[in-house]
Amino acid sequence: MKRALLVAALAAVSCKVNLTPEGISKAYRGIKEARKDLTPENEYYVGRAVATNILAKSNYKYRDESGFSSGKLEGMTAYVNAVGNVVAMASLETPHDGDRPTPLAGWHFVVLEDKTINAFAAPGGYIFVTAGAIEQAGNEDELAAILAHEVAHVRRGHALGSIKKSRMAGVMKEMLDSSVELDKQALGTLTEAFDGAMDDMMDSLLVKGYSRDTEFEADSVGLEIMLKAGYDGSAFVSYLKKLNAHQATGSGGFSATHPKASDRISKLEKKVAKAPKVTVPKARINRFKAAVLGVE
Amino acid sequence: MRPRFLIATLLLATGLAIAAPKAGSVVTVRVLTAKVMKAPKFIGPAAGDVSRGEQLKFEEAKGDWYRVSGAISGWIHKTNLTERQVTLSSKPGAEGAGAASRDEVELAGRGFTPQVEGEYRQKNPNLDFSHVDKIEKTSIDPGELEAFVAEGKLGGGQ
Ligand SMILES: [Zn+2]
Repeated sequence: MKRALLVAALAAVSCKVNLTPEGISKAYRGIKEARKDLTPENEYYVGRAVATNILAKSNYKYRDESGFSSGKLEGMTAYVNAVGNVVAMASLETPHDGDRPTPLAGWHFVVLEDKTINAFAAPGGYIFVTAGAIEQAGNEDELAAILAHEVAHVRRGHALGSIKKSRMAGVMKEMLDSSVELDKQALGTLTEAFDGAMDDMMDSLLVKGYSRDTEFEADSVGLEIMLKAGYDGSAFVSYLKKLNAHQATGSGGFSATHPKASDRISKLEKKVAKAPKVTVPKARINRFKAAVLGVE
Repeated sequence: MRPRFLIATLLLATGLAIAAPKAGSVVTVRVLTAKVMKAPKFIGPAAGDVSRGEQLKFEEAKGDWYRVSGAISGWIHKTNLTERQVTLSSKPGAEGAGAASRDEVELAGRGFTPQVEGEYRQKNPNLDFSHVDKIEKTSIDPGELEAFVAEGKLGGGQ
């Protein structure tokens, strides 16, 4: 039955549909959402390019570059990757319907040399957090909250979700119809869609942000993830309170792309209150000071 | 072949979870590299690394962890594996895609591929991809992570 339907759909696509963008879009309705339909491989290439665009916007200025070159992470970056990987692993134990699969190249956390408070998650598990955001966090649990929110954006496919559906129709058509070795026309179509997808995602990441509900989802899934990892959920709220105070006096950075911190707090507070209390051990406090503030 | 391929596409697209494979069946590594662990958890001593396209024999499942044997024996998280064939090259979509019959391949070389990235890079020569190349090559040692988790009294991956 399913098969017959698919064959019919394919026949409709190849014979009857006029090949205007609207026509294709109509024919592929239902199978053209990037966050559902892009393969892990597709996400990998999209993610690499988004990551590179984010780095370019920061003039490729990030912490501990030498560690990335040698393959052995160093300094604050090694620490942020340790926290980030613990959180990312916990995210596998809090699965939700429609989660993106584990990124092909694993999870990577990069500290941008930037005083403003911000963080970005590219598809494929490339996560960027500004030095300003980390310094604003007073401890490891608040850092874990920032990273868990970003890991949630990746797991839920939020950046991919900002790719315009009209673009995806063309991509799905090429995915189904073209041969493995792309001809010039197919390559042109796909590259144009890829280029456009970059615009869509960078616009969401840096300029207009996601919808409020998307951000609330990243908060609520992020909270679940950090709790699973063993972090103190109340640190999420304490960090948001700092952002709230910051938003009263400043703008830009995360303020441009996220709902008001006070709104985020009111959505999270009840869930945090229900979470088991965590006693933060001294070692966790000390290692944050050592890695981030340089205090031994 | 087309319809079968399409069905494979849609199954993949909707991300249907596959039940644990039969004992003795072959599973394939779908991520670029993954750790095979000595115990069914993310942290602690690793038995070794496996890379994309490597095939392992499935022995048993414990939750989301599969015990596998082959070049390396141990435990691997199921999200790193597929029961479909994948390309044998380390990079998705690169040469080697022809090794398996096309409808069995995990859509490798479809849609956004290295060819598309290449074309995009040509059109945007100002973008320097060498950074992301370096960044994605690094990984965290699961033994060090075990110490990190223990010291911080975290529960990660247990
Ligand atoms: Zn966000």
